[in-house]
Amino acid sequence: MSQNDDALRSARFRAEREAKWRNLEALVSQAETRSTRRMGYHDVRNLVDLYRQATTSLAIAREISLDKALLAYLEALTARAYLTVYAPQTPVGGVMWRFFSKGAPQALRRSGVLILLGVVCMGLGVLAGYLLYFENADWFYVFMPTELAGGRTPEATTGDLLDAIYSDTSVETGALGAFASYLFSHNTRIAFLVFGLGLFLCAPALILTFLNGLTLGAFLALHVERGIGWDLGGWLSIHGVTEIGAICVACAGGLKLGSAAMFPGMRSRADSLRHAGHDAAKLAIVAAFMLIVAAILEGFARQMVQDMVWRYVLGWGIGALWLSWAITTGKERIS
Amino acid sequence: MTPGTHSRRRRKAARASRIIESDQIHPPEGVPLTLPVARTGVRFSAQILDLILTLITLIAIVIILSWLELFDDTTISAVIALLFFFIRIPYYALTELAWNGQTFGKRLLKIKVVAHDGGPLTTHAIVLRNLTKEAEVFLPATLLLTFSWLSGWQAWLAIGWIAICLLVPLRDIYARRLGDILAGTHVVHLPQPVFLPELAKSHERSEKFSPDFVFRSDQLDHYGAYELQTLETLLRVGPPILHKQRKRYANTRAIVTQKIRTKIGYAEAIPENKQEAFLRAFYAAQRKHLESKQLFGDRRADKYHAENSDGKRQ
Repeated sequence: MSQNDDALRSARFRAEREAKWRNLEALVSQAETRSTRRMGYHDVRNLVDLYRQATTSLAIAREISLDKALLAYLEALTARAYLTVYAPQTPVGGVMWRFFSKGAPQALRRSGVLILLGVVCMGLGVLAGYLLYFENADWFYVFMPTELAGGRTPEATTGDLLDAIYSDTSVETGALGAFASYLFSHNTRIAFLVFGLGLFLCAPALILTFLNGLTLGAFLALHVERGIGWDLGGWLSIHGVTEIGAICVACAGGLKLGSAAMFPGMRSRADSLRHAGHDAAKLAIVAAFMLIVAAILEGFARQMVQDMVWRYVLGWGIGALWLSWAITTGKERIS
Repeated sequence: MTPGTHSRRRRKAARASRIIESDQIHPPEGVPLTLPVARTGVRFSAQILDLILTLITLIAIVIILSWLELFDDTTISAVIALLFFFIRIPYYALTELAWNGQTFGKRLLKIKVVAHDGGPLTTHAIVLRNLTKEAEVFLPATLLLTFSWLSGWQAWLAIGWIAICLLVPLRDIYARRLGDILAGTHVVHLPQPVFLPELAKSHERSEKFSPDFVFRSDQLDHYGAYELQTLETLLRVGPPILHKQRKRYANTRAIVTQKIRTKIGYAEAIPENKQEAFLRAFYAAQRKHLESKQLFGDRRADKYHAENSDGKRQ
């Protein structure tokens, strides 16, 4: 060591600690690539230890050193080490399984009342649409968007209506295409809107759910009037139970956000929204998953199962499965 | 000046200082650390990179599927929309889960999602910030692409929503979008520690480091930390490899040497082959001088330090 070296305090400071910093740097990159849970006990202990020492070094260096490169190195090193120590990777394994076995059903149960509210809303819509149709058949055109009806209006003959119920459309468009077009159908859009609009103080979500019920009620009334109500029921059941369930769940998610914004309680509004977001996000994923299942049922199963009774059995059977999943799974025993 | 402009200026200044503060985190160790916030520009670029990657995957899958004749022309748009949806939704959430807050694009640009409170990233936060991405990134993008098909009020609604999605991150101090605020996250530049050798240390070519250059204390009173660190940058860059640039570097070095000599009143002329050694010696002496001043509470930020301290005294 020359005289010059000994004289420069910051250079001495650096020379004494350099090895530890390099060691920390190696440990940090190891922790980032392999995660701390797979590192040995000593390595993890050293990582934390060296990190604390490095923060002290940084504090001193800021005071005594004018070496820009050294300061930048220490700033970057400590920040990087901070992330590995305080914000390590959360375990990814079993995320899906945890969601479906615990998170989602628990969220569904917590939001049971809201889902019921969605169901009631939809039910009232169906009832109103049904009764209004019998009062005056022109209501059908008010409730039903023309592109959705696809020619199945009060003007169509009973035979046409029956053909639509027991037709096999998948032959022309290809299975995947049919699946895709069903998934991006009217109801998916409704579910998205219902969820998103819930944020604006609940009302749009409820109104939209009700309107969707009106459409369904009028459509049902048309077929009941022709005496083929049961056939339509089967056609709707096979995917509709799941699909309408999804809309109700999405509605509950929207209501959750809306009610959090309206009645924040002891929390601030933003905080309350963030809290409600936990369940709302889970409900949104459940709704999306149900819509995908519904599209599969609509795209494949409805063409394969042409018998009315089996359509009922399949549709409501799957509905019962959803319900039992939501009610029974993921209960934690309190010991 | 009216009081209105005055308060506006003060608010602007307060905002600027909060923006500078946003890069700092306060760990339990009590030493503030620097984790610079990634702002809208770099985040937008990362998004574009991710978009390119997912689109390439999409095109590859569509080509394979059409080769297998799994769908026909009438439903092609629905199939593409469906596939894009099913590629991008898991892509963002799964990459951020697996790489602790980095997608492919974020990795390339060395940025990373962190929890706003400095803790670990939860699964919920990652899923939520990527689900809201649908409404905040893909919806405005789709609206822009289909803008010509929108009717009057729809167009206004679309403009409104696009404006909100752009303005929220631009106005936010942490450049968070709505999904970040909901999920409690923001995005930072991942600091890259680069270890460089000590400049003020004697090295192999020690004969270059001859004690020819001796500086008096009054010669070292001219500069501050800013000039010292600028000189450090010049010395660290070193002579480039290309011949032409090497010439330019030597030229710069000569000018810098000349300027320093005039400023500090160093009488002796420096031949070109000794300029490097002179600058290194000056750097070491100047740093030693400034650091020892700093130890006694005399921080000299730049060459105006004398005027500034005089101004305070008056």
